[in-house]
Amino acid sequence: MPRHRPILLFCALLGITTPSSAEPVVVVNAASSVVRLERDEVVNIFLGRYRRLSTGAIAQPIDQPERSPLRADFYRRLVNKNVNEIDAYWSRLIFSGKTAPPLRTVSSQEVATLLAGNPDAIAYLERGQIDKRFRIVLEFPR
Amino acid sequence: MTNADHAPLDPLHIRGLLMRSILALILASLLAGLAAIAHTAQATRQHAQQTTQTRLNELLDTVESTLRVACFARDATLAGELAEGLLSNSDVLSVRIFSDQAVLADKRRHAGNELQAMSLRRPIFSPFDNHQQVGEILLRPDPQVIEARIRDEVWFAAIQLAWQLGMVAVAMAVIMLLFIVRPIKAISDRLHRMDPTAGERLATPRRHAGSEIGQLVYDINALSDRLVGALAAEHQLRMQREIDERKYHAIFNNAESGLFIVDGAGTLSSWNPACARLFNIDPQRGDDEYTWLHVALLNWDSPERITGMIRAALRENSAMTEDLLIVDQDGDRHWMNIVLSPVGDNLLQGVVHNISHLKEAEASARQLAVTDTLTGLANRLGLEQRLQTLVQQYAYTQTGGFSLLLLNLDDFRRINEGMGLLAGDNILQTVTGRLSGCVKSGDCVARLSADNFGIILNDITRGDVADMIAGRIMNAMRQTYFVDGAPINLHASIGITIFPHDASTVPNLLRQAELAMDSAKSTGGNAHVFFDPILSEAAEHRRQLEEDLRGALRNQEFALFLQPIVDLRSNRLCGAEALLRWRHPAHGLTPPDSFIPMAEKTGLIVEIGLFVLDAACRQLLAWQQQGLDYTLSLNVSGRQIPDGLSPAKLRAATEHYGISPGRLALEITEGVMLSDIDKSLRWLNEVHASGFRIYLDDFGTGYSSLSYLKQFPVDTLKVDKSFVRDMQQGNNENTLVGAIIAMGGSLGLDIVAEGVELPDQVQTLRRMGCQYAQGYLFSRPVPAEAFPETAELVAERLATLSG
Repeated sequence: MPRHRPILLFCALLGITTPSSAEPVVVVNAASSVVRLERDEVVNIFLGRYRRLSTGAIAQPIDQPERSPLRADFYRRLVNKNVNEIDAYWSRLIFSGKTAPPLRTVSSQEVATLLAGNPDAIAYLERGQIDKRFRIVLEFPR
Repeated sequence: MTNADHAPLDPLHIRGLLMRSILALILASLLAGLAAIAHTAQATRQHAQQTTQTRLNELLDTVESTLRVACFARDATLAGELAEGLLSNSDVLSVRIFSDQAVLADKRRHAGNELQAMSLRRPIFSPFDNHQQVGEILLRPDPQVIEARIRDEVWFAAIQLAWQLGMVAVAMAVIMLLFIVRPIKAISDRLHRMDPTAGERLATPRRHAGSEIGQLVYDINALSDRLVGALAAEHQLRMQREIDERKYHAIFNNAESGLFIVDGAGTLSSWNPACARLFNIDPQRGDDEYTWLHVALLNWDSPERITGMIRAALRENSAMTEDLLIVDQDGDRHWMNIVLSPVGDNLLQGVVHNISHLKEAEASARQLAVTDTLTGLANRLGLEQRLQTLVQQYAYTQTGGFSLLLLNLDDFRRINEGMGLLAGDNILQTVTGRLSGCVKSGDCVARLSADNFGIILNDITRGDVADMIAGRIMNAMRQTYFVDGAPINLHASIGITIFPHDASTVPNLLRQAELAMDSAKSTGGNAHVFFDPILSEAAEHRRQLEEDLRGALRNQEFALFLQPIVDLRSNRLCGAEALLRWRHPAHGLTPPDSFIPMAEKTGLIVEIGLFVLDAACRQLLAWQQQGLDYTLSLNVSGRQIPDGLSPAKLRAATEHYGISPGRLALEITEGVMLSDIDKSLRWLNEVHASGFRIYLDDFGTGYSSLSYLKQFPVDTLKVDKSFVRDMQQGNNENTLVGAIIAMGGSLGLDIVAEGVELPDQVQTLRRMGCQYAQGYLFSRPVPAEAFPETAELVAERLATLSG
């Protein structure tokens, strides 16, 4: 994946220059009862293992656009995989149809909109996009 | 050869070396093969299991990532797909896939035994977290497939092994056949036909000279040699034993010695013919069944001695020998020498010889030692033994003296030399007879040597009786003897000594009798003389004289005196006669008459003569060096001719001193010449031929044979002094001396007149024509060192006489 290297480099530089505004954080609708999630819980929800929350609701994960740097950064931080690997993972599961990948979006604004409109939704955003509609449930350590 | 009837072996015989080896090889191959196959099977099984595990693991590796996803997502569909895929591999019998909560898939190809041990269980981890287990997969391989694979592999290995072992066995069999079985078969065949005693031997098979087979052939041949050698030796031994047995049998039967075996009880168990002859055993007896005989039943003189001897030999376990008397059927007694040697088993081997003739010979030899064979009388030893016995008897009893007579025939040597030994023996036998007739039967007559007899007259101790008997013997001796009809007259000399009057020991008696007899001889014989102590003294004197003479030679006590001889024609000194003197340390100057006879008797005269010759030569040398041409004459005794003073010794002496033999004259008497004419003549001729001059001494006193004078090479006559001394005017002697001088002159001889003492005699001799003279008128004999002085006196005397 030499093609993604400049992106990773860019992200790294971004992180240094803007320490907090561009980094991904996992968020839920502020109306949700979920306050805090463990990393494993986030992995299970986003990679389709199970999506039932401790509250009993079925979580609805929302992915960033396929080519966005935030998505690559998120999966790198979550399971240390690149987006191709994540895509290959999903390609095997989709065949059986037992589970589905997170909801696809076309832009980060769409993510925010979907999240704001669904209390069971769970997504990840740049820290800079966070406002009062959303609640951070998992932050990745620096 | 015990296996000579065995058929030769077929090499393929079931018990043959080859078949045995092949069977053993096959058996060993089978065992080895089985072991190898068992091992191979075990190894193959393990290997197959490992291979299966590896393959299953590899299989799982290829699907692991998908498995992770299926287990993470708990996707049974995906898991089922995976399980189906895995089952497509023939090794796999069943597949089970678990998530952390439930079985996702459980697929199995067909019913059958699952191989629990070989099942493969692997945990499945999350695709996103290698530490988080999200499931498990259990794979079970198909045992039938694995077994089939193992079977195939083992079978292949077995076939391969069988091929290899088969090839090795065939190769071994061929090698054995070629290198071992065939050579052994060849050797065996050859051995079957071989005759070692005919010298046949095995040939070493080709190319086997250095191999074990070759060594075996060599050993077999060596063994054959040894066996053949041993066989030949054994055969030789058997032949030799047979020959020996026959030989010993022959020896036993033909032996001159009697041989027998006797046991401890005295029973004779076997004997040879010689033994039967000696013991007078019936010859038929040995052939009967009743072959034993007790030794004491033989006709022994004393049977207890032979039985005692048997006991002793067995007791001592050593050989015994004894001489025993046995009586034959005619009553004759025979001496048997018996030797008994133990041969073990209480048996004795006996050897018997008839030694009767030996015993007789022994007895006769004992007799012979003391007997004179010619006359049958006792000899000197016999007489001495008899005397010894008588002397000893007298010592015990103090009775029984005797007279001892020694008798010697006078001039008996003349008979032996003149008429032969046989005539002498005849006379001796006659003498024996006559002597025996003159004495009593108990008296002893003995012949001591040649013509010496001894007579012991028992109990005769009185001189008059002995004298009478001696006279009777003398008379008997004087009777005429006849030898071949020729009459011969002899007489005897007898010496008599009386025991115990004259001497008490045998040697003294014999010596005294001999002295008495010598005394009778010295007076001309034909007399008997009693021993007188004076005779003993004279004998002692002679012995002393002889000793002194030997000492004199050793101590150089002899000296040469010179008496001048003058030439009456030229009135000058012309030489001297050498006269021997003895400067006796005790008796002073001794004239030759008192010792020359003794010197002649003992032979010392020869050494003395050589001394005189040496001294005379030295004197002549001295004269020669002084320019004097004197001659020197010396006296020669009969005992010095021919060897004592041989011509060679004379020549050697003159040559040694470098003097002319013509200056040395040798004076001999007629008696010397007459004792042995031939011998003397040879000596005289050789001496004369050597250049020495010969003087005839004492001429006129003896035979004065004219023929001898002609025959002998005499140069000079010396007229005896007795004629000269009695020579007077007109006297008979005068005429005699004149005749001698005339005769000598006519024979061409020089004349020396001895004993000239008076001037008148010189005148007379001159007138008669005598040229040389010697005597006190001119000089007595003087020592050599005084001779020059004497020569001057002689010259003065001659001058006076001629003046």
